[in-house]
Amino acid sequence: MSGITKRTLLALAASSALAFSAPAFAQDKEDIVIGGSIPLTGVFAFAGVAIEAGIQDYLKILNEQGGIDGRQVRLAYEDTGYQVDQSVAVFNKLTSQNENMHLYYGDSTAFSRTINPELIRRNAMIMAGASFASEINDPENFPYQFIAGPDYSEMFSILLEYIAKEKPGARIVTVNSDSEFGRDPIESTRARAAELGLEIVEEIITPPGAVDVSTEVLKLRRARPDYTLFHGYILAPLPEFMTQAKQLGLETKFMGTFWSMDSSIWADVGEVADGFMGVMPYRYYYDEEDAPMLDRIRQMRPEYQATGYMQGFLTAMLMTEAAKRTLAAGNELTAENLKASLNTIEDFDTGGIIGVPISVPGNTVPVGRIYQYDAADKRMEPVSDWISLQE
Amino acid sequence: MSDLLFFIEVSLAGLGSGALLSLTALAFVLIYKATRVINLAVGETLMMGGYFFFALAAGMSLPVWVAIPLAIAGGGLIGAIVERGIIRRMLGESPISVFMVTVGLGSVLVGLVEFIWGTDPRSLPDFMGSAPIFLGEVYVSRKIAISFVVAAVVIAIFLILFRYWRGGVALRATATDQAAAYSCGINVPGVFSLAWIIGCGTAAGAGMLLGQIGGIAPTMGAFGLSALVVVIVGGLDSVAGALIAGLFIGLVEAWTGTYLGGEYKLVFTFGILILMLMIRPYGLFGTTEIERL
Repeated sequence: MSGITKRTLLALAASSALAFSAPAFAQDKEDIVIGGSIPLTGVFAFAGVAIEAGIQDYLKILNEQGGIDGRQVRLAYEDTGYQVDQSVAVFNKLTSQNENMHLYYGDSTAFSRTINPELIRRNAMIMAGASFASEINDPENFPYQFIAGPDYSEMFSILLEYIAKEKPGARIVTVNSDSEFGRDPIESTRARAAELGLEIVEEIITPPGAVDVSTEVLKLRRARPDYTLFHGYILAPLPEFMTQAKQLGLETKFMGTFWSMDSSIWADVGEVADGFMGVMPYRYYYDEEDAPMLDRIRQMRPEYQATGYMQGFLTAMLMTEAAKRTLAAGNELTAENLKASLNTIEDFDTGGIIGVPISVPGNTVPVGRIYQYDAADKRMEPVSDWISLQE
Repeated sequence: MSDLLFFIEVSLAGLGSGALLSLTALAFVLIYKATRVINLAVGETLMMGGYFFFALAAGMSLPVWVAIPLAIAGGGLIGAIVERGIIRRMLGESPISVFMVTVGLGSVLVGLVEFIWGTDPRSLPDFMGSAPIFLGEVYVSRKIAISFVVAAVVIAIFLILFRYWRGGVALRATATDQAAAYSCGINVPGVFSLAWIIGCGTAAGAGMLLGQIGGIAPTMGAFGLSALVVVIVGGLDSVAGALIAGLFIGLVEAWTGTYLGGEYKLVFTFGILILMLMIRPYGLFGTTEIERL
């Protein structure tokens, strides 16, 4: 007799069963992966670094709470240098290395457009990213993409609604960079301004990378607008525009869109930045209104986090919420199911990242608020309520 | 406001921004003239000048009058290190090899800036003031006016130095015939170093002026590309050509931007470049010699 008792045999049998079932169990609980073509170097690196931090922090919070249906969520990403070919190469690499990649963060409009047919063909993931391009706000042609905020045309609509309320019939000059990014909202702005009874008196286009804007300021002086709306820039050449306009005694108010609204980039500009306004889809790191998620962010990171951080954070929140809803409904994580789940998001509480409950009826979250820069405090302060274009 | 007055204002603005192009183009010319190397990292050296000034004036809170010469010296130091450490070792290599080394150098400098100062665009401490300048009724941007004066003075100094200073004459002699310069006792390697130091120092100075207008960012080296157009139009080895072509390109850009729209500026600039390469590839004032890479 070998000395093996019935009890030992039973224990062996049970442990063997567990051992053999373990792989199946592990497979069920495999991580869900968010892939990322993120620009950590190059012209858009300032945003990419913040976006990556925002995504990682939201995933940390989510995973501490048990992840999605017991599955952890992790970000697999690589630097793209803001080059489309590199973004595509990263996409191909990450999708071949990670089986459970159902969510993706892309870095540019060009990448969103390039990868769109592949997303449709795969039907495996939904994608959002750093682009707020109006053309992505088209559920028919971009069925598996979305924007975690308003698109650029909607941003301009929010600005124009604010202006129409503050100064009916105002004279407006638009200043756009001669790039895909800059030209995005020009057509729609003309139409929306006309609807709201606002007059666009001049449209100024600057070459990409323009530094000296003396001639453009002279055109601005001729037009004498009440409001000057910039789009397609981060910082330069806005401060020089504003400096020269003030030198010339122009009374125009300067406004911008999301990517030029980070308060840290204005901090070094000084007094001339005072009064710069613009549309912001998210709250600022330092906003004092009640926002539990902002409190949590400030606990995790005591130092200021840029607007790109909030964008990354909210994008991760909406993506994972879509995955959560898909699994809760007992469906597979296909792009079709994920997007359908995303569109069920209605009156969703972002924990204060956006100051009102949000919905994702199509490919955007068409909500924003006007903030104004206070040079003394080096902060953006809200000057309007949240403006929703859904109403 | 009359159309004539507006035209004059636009033209002066064009001359001002053209002067900045001339100053940057000068950095290309100085190095090419002495060493026959087209330094494509001039734009990135210009960027380094802006960041050096930022570090000294904003980071270390040094007075502007200390920070400016130190930033220029920093640019010169880059030139010295690059020339002694890399370019001199490449003597005798094909021009395309040296050319590619400078392309790589540009990427290294951008990486260095992103590593040290991060990727955010930044503003420089103001040292030009903000009071507007009016010539009669004509408005001129203060920063552009100051840049114009600085560029004009610097270029004038270089023109004088090349003609009368021993070092300048040595540089011209080396540019004309290296072997003959050696035989006359000219320290040719020393001249090479000097050209790189002065060229990169000039680029750093231009970077500070440019940074005053548009702020600094790791991407500001792209300005070097516009300046490259200027040197090709003016002549790669002509200081006066850099000045005249810079002002010319500045004027053309101002007029097209104002009367046709900003989207036409680069079309015209690069149209001129193509035209010039077709009809006079050595530039308006360059030596009649075509170097094929």
